[in-house]
Amino acid sequence: MKTTPNGIETLWTELIRMCNEQFASKPFRRLLSTRFTKARAQQYSIQMAFYVQNRRDCWGYVQGSAPLEIKKLIWQHEEDELIGRKSEGKQDHITLAVKEGEIFGLTAEAFEQNPRLEGGEVCFSAWIRVAQRSWLEAIAASAILEMRNSGELIQGGSLSRRIGDMLERDLGIPMKKQINTAEHVVMDVEHAHLLMQVARKYASSETARKAILRGAAESLMIDRVYRGHLADMLEALPDA
Amino acid sequence: MDILGDLLKTLDQMVNDQFESIEFKRFLGVPLTLERGRFYVVQNALYTSNRRDCWGYVQGGAPLQVKRIIWEHESDELINDPRAGMDHYALSVKQGEVIGLRPEDFEKAEVPSMVRACFYAWHHVAMHNHWLSAYTASHMLERRNNGKIVKGGGMSYRVGKKFENELGINLKRMISLDVHVVADTDHSENISEMFERYVKTAEDCELVLKGARESMAIDRAYRGALGYYMEQIN
Repeated sequence: MKTTPNGIETLWTELIRMCNEQFASKPFRRLLSTRFTKARAQQYSIQMAFYVQNRRDCWGYVQGSAPLEIKKLIWQHEEDELIGRKSEGKQDHITLAVKEGEIFGLTAEAFEQNPRLEGGEVCFSAWIRVAQRSWLEAIAASAILEMRNSGELIQGGSLSRRIGDMLERDLGIPMKKQINTAEHVVMDVEHAHLLMQVARKYASSETARKAILRGAAESLMIDRVYRGHLADMLEALPDA
Repeated sequence: MDILGDLLKTLDQMVNDQFESIEFKRFLGVPLTLERGRFYVVQNALYTSNRRDCWGYVQGGAPLQVKRIIWEHESDELINDPRAGMDHYALSVKQGEVIGLRPEDFEKAEVPSMVRACFYAWHHVAMHNHWLSAYTASHMLERRNNGKIVKGGGMSYRVGKKFENELGINLKRMISLDVHVVADTDHSENISEMFERYVKTAEDCELVLKGARESMAIDRAYRGALGYYMEQIN
């Protein structure tokens, strides 16, 4: 990436650093040191479907407040997530999450009947609150979660990749059978560039760059809390 | 008691009543001049942008199935309406050419103060209400534009006819107004189908009516404001 006079490269470098730092945080280390059992994988899978739904809430709010040309980018982003690329035979990500559950022995009803994790619910509300702020903060808060999931930006692999590897190691389920995880390993590399597209045009002032950093930092903080709750949930289930 | 049938009848009555309000009568009674027409067309593009804001907010708060319906709705509006071969904002700008407007006229347009207040009010309803209220608030503006429901024609049709009768510009040349005569009929019917799925109780009805009442009140204020500003243009 070329250096630009308005500090875009510095901003981008800082955002990538923040995403990488997530993996050194205590909640992330706890979550990623868990050993998956079938019961743990089931609960994790169900809670991740709720997480994906919350992303849809937040991206909707971001689309509402963003300028028209950015609305169009988000609309296209949401096609993958909400509808699926029909022309490529790809399903939406919520359907994928439910289908992936089958390899853990879950039925579609299990996703409807299991409640949201209490701590997760609180984090979802917090993310929605950030999504309703000024649009640059809001878009950074949502987009940073996809940067954190981009294998191109994260040393040692994105969160989806690492979880996928753990499920393969602990349950012997190859990544290609983890259809939702595998999809996110690929798609979030592409989606991770959305924030840079926005920054190139709209982060021309220090105020704008600070807004992006503020939104990203707050979202990553919520993300750490959320992952901590997931780790608690998994640890509370039998380890064998 | 047919809860849904009664509710839809009430919504139909409300959109018809809009045209009996003093604000609507004032707006539709302002004689058009070319300058007033230009003002209206630019303002209508800003209104279209505000609709995109609100539908995004509504999508954010709605259940998953409703999000999908809104996403499809926004395909016409934001990306490409096959009826027009372009999105609805581009359509508004293109329509402006007929009355001598350039794209820059839309880009540099300011939102007048009373209009700005209405836009913020619609944002508020879309973002800070139960999703059924928020959804209905946005839906009602398309229902109010549905010529199958509004006796005498929806708003786009009536304004299009004013351009035809008072400025001699055929409705077919006012491409945005012309497309909306049809598009909002389709949209309001597709969106209305969601009521059948989600409105089951008296409480649900009240949420729908709350959104409808608030949006119709803002709509009256908005049309009254447009009428006022148009009258200031000689």
